[in-house]
Amino acid sequence: MKSGDLLDAAAAEALEFGWLREQIAPAGAYGRRVFGALRAFVPGDEARAAQAAERIVRAAATLEPERIDALARRLRATPDVTPAIARAAAGDVLDDPDFLELLRLCDAVRETDALLAVFPDALRCGGPALDALAVALEPGRRGGHGFYLDDAFDRALAQAREADARAQAAFETARGRLYERVARALGREAITDEQFIVMRADLPNGLPPGVRIVREAPTYLVCEIELDEDALAALERREAAREALAHVEETVRARLSAIVRDGAADLERTCSALGGADVFLAQVRFAQRYGCTAPEIVEDACVAFDGGRFLPLEERLRDAGRTYVPISLDLHGTAVVTGPNMGGKSACLRTCGMIALCAAFGLPVPARRARVGLFDTIAWLGIGTAAGGDDEGLLSSFAREVIHLRVALQRPTRRPLLLLDEFARTTGPSEGKALLVAVLAEVRRRGACALAATHLDGVAEAAGAAHFVVRGLREVPRGINAGDLRGALEALARAMDYSVLPAAGTDAATSDALALAELLGLDGSVVAAARAALYAERRAAEKAAPPVE
Amino acid sequence: MHVGTRLLELIRLRGARTVFVVGTGKNAGKTVVARAILGAAREASLQPGICSIGRDGESEDVIDGRAKPRYLLAPGTLAATARGALPRTPAVEILDRTAIGTSVGEIFICRSRGFAAFEIVGPPAASGVREVVQALRAQGAGLVIVDGAVDRVAAVAVEDGAIIIAVGVHGRESFDEVVLAGRALAAKLMLPVYDPRQPVVHVRGALLPEIALALAAEDPERQIVVEDPTRVAAGGRTFLGLLERARLRTARPLSVAALTVNAVGRERAYDPQEMLQCLAAATGLPAFDVFAAAAA
Repeated sequence: MKSGDLLDAAAAEALEFGWLREQIAPAGAYGRRVFGALRAFVPGDEARAAQAAERIVRAAATLEPERIDALARRLRATPDVTPAIARAAAGDVLDDPDFLELLRLCDAVRETDALLAVFPDALRCGGPALDALAVALEPGRRGGHGFYLDDAFDRALAQAREADARAQAAFETARGRLYERVARALGREAITDEQFIVMRADLPNGLPPGVRIVREAPTYLVCEIELDEDALAALERREAAREALAHVEETVRARLSAIVRDGAADLERTCSALGGADVFLAQVRFAQRYGCTAPEIVEDACVAFDGGRFLPLEERLRDAGRTYVPISLDLHGTAVVTGPNMGGKSACLRTCGMIALCAAFGLPVPARRARVGLFDTIAWLGIGTAAGGDDEGLLSSFAREVIHLRVALQRPTRRPLLLLDEFARTTGPSEGKALLVAVLAEVRRRGACALAATHLDGVAEAAGAAHFVVRGLREVPRGINAGDLRGALEALARAMDYSVLPAAGTDAATSDALALAELLGLDGSVVAAARAALYAERRAAEKAAPPVE
Repeated sequence: MHVGTRLLELIRLRGARTVFVVGTGKNAGKTVVARAILGAAREASLQPGICSIGRDGESEDVIDGRAKPRYLLAPGTLAATARGALPRTPAVEILDRTAIGTSVGEIFICRSRGFAAFEIVGPPAASGVREVVQALRAQGAGLVIVDGAVDRVAAVAVEDGAIIIAVGVHGRESFDEVVLAGRALAAKLMLPVYDPRQPVVHVRGALLPEIALALAAEDPERQIVVEDPTRVAAGGRTFLGLLERARLRTARPLSVAALTVNAVGRERAYDPQEMLQCLAAATGLPAFDVFAAAAA
């Protein structure tokens, strides 16, 4: 599965595309091949994307997770036989490990088809070639995981093996007699190896006949036994029998290989279908594991959902013993989300992006309900935009954001989704706001979608964009020891209302920045000074404002 | 005398179900010793299984290209070897796969059905050897013979394995060097287990000579304990020197059953009887020469 043109690098990182890919990665080699070629649906593919997600959700409701996991284990252990099929198709004679692997393929396909049989619109992976191959290879099955070129494949095998065994025994006997004679002559119990050492001191009468010296030394001789006529004749007969056996074995292998060759096209289709099933079942498990639902895929540029979750964050919070609060959002065209620090604005952007991403790949989405359009680009700007090329390391944060914005706007896309996380936060607020407003206006003009998280006041109103707010702190937690970061975060999580709601009127965004700074242990005198400065500024602003008639 | 039978007796006396044949270097005669034990096990109706650490039993030495002995396995013998090393004729019975990869393919557990020449290619790592040994046992092997490298046997051999040390002359400049190499390897593999009642310092991972000496200098009476004998990163003269100056001990002792000699090398050869006697005296181990059918 490749993000291709759908995600820019920053979006892939922010939306944790790698995590998603890992979650839906298939188990086996065939699945990986199909998975590697997966591409996102683009605007115009709405019906196909919707069908894909609906099919996964239907299967998720039907199939038992334990059975899918068991099959995944089987698929993981099923070797890739496509090279063997290709070799057989080219006329090669396969070897026994190839037949073992083909037998494993037959088993895996049979299990997959059995699992998916309950599912009405499932494709059948098996085919006539695989059925024929399974029947042909069955005599070679040994236990659960073995193969042997059994005599049952061909009567000639048994005959050739008997002849080989007889010839081997005759040779062993002839050689054994010879070895025994030499051992006796040397006064030894036995000679067990081809080469042996004799001490000169033990040879008052010299070496017995038929022993050849390989190496001489002052005190010993390295010797080997020369085969006599009987043993040589027996060896010759054994070699002939071995050659005959090799011929019969190769004939059987060639016959089995021909079955593979004749059914190569169908077997390749089976492998692809098995890969497709593996990919599909991994997606089903993803939907089951994370309680995903089929989105309504529409032709509009929108991302609307209830109870949406950004799954990687949900997992991390769960690991930390905390609860993820699902959010709801209705994004049509452009919108701005404001709210306190640590209130979940970035998570809102990521949730939006993940739902759009899942929908684009025809996957069920992590939301109770969703209505999503297809985008051909999802771009991420602002926080989390890392330096790209060599030169970018020399740029300021703002300059880098501008470069990335330029690239995003210049991409020849029909329908982008722009996710802007505190874009232009590192420049002057007036000009930053003006730029953000202009960007949102441009996105709206193109009929695309953008969601901007910002602390700047009045952006939504100025850009004519929808405005959402994160509710923020219900109350400021008290009694947290300075430096107890974990305690502070837990207290913050308890006190924070992460709900995202449409903003009422043109309220200025509140950041709860000073309360957070205090909670996170910043020196109280610094926070007090900041509060005093803020108060003075507000008083001055009130005095400067013209009196209301 | 049938050396294989004598070796098998020593192995069985120790209650071992796995035997590791390790050498002082190349051409120490490991494969010949393994073959002798294999033959004896077969005669004793003890279903034998053979495997290797790395690559062995090939018809030519892959490093210097000279002729090396192969395993000619009798029908019914279990073996673990890589896909690329399986004999094509006579066909072998493939019993299981291991998912352990080597440079010549995955390792299969198989059974010879006719007399077949095998090249035994094993896993490169100790964890893989353990898995292969278990897979051979699962197929009914009564004795598993591992043709192995000394630095990789320890993790597996401590469980219920015996070790045979094969001493060769390859790469040694003199007879004394040959004896010293054999003595040092035997001393290392027979490192005694530590006494928990006495002062002790445990060393995790490899014990370098300089660390051993520094620890010994701090407290000469203290035992320096390694996890297993192969963790001492020294051999030959260096190891023997350390042994004199430091109380080296092991947490997991190995069981060395015997020593074998191969007095004839490609570059040099020594008197087999003298080598056998000297090594038996230097190590205190039962010593055998498979080639000369001799014992000391």
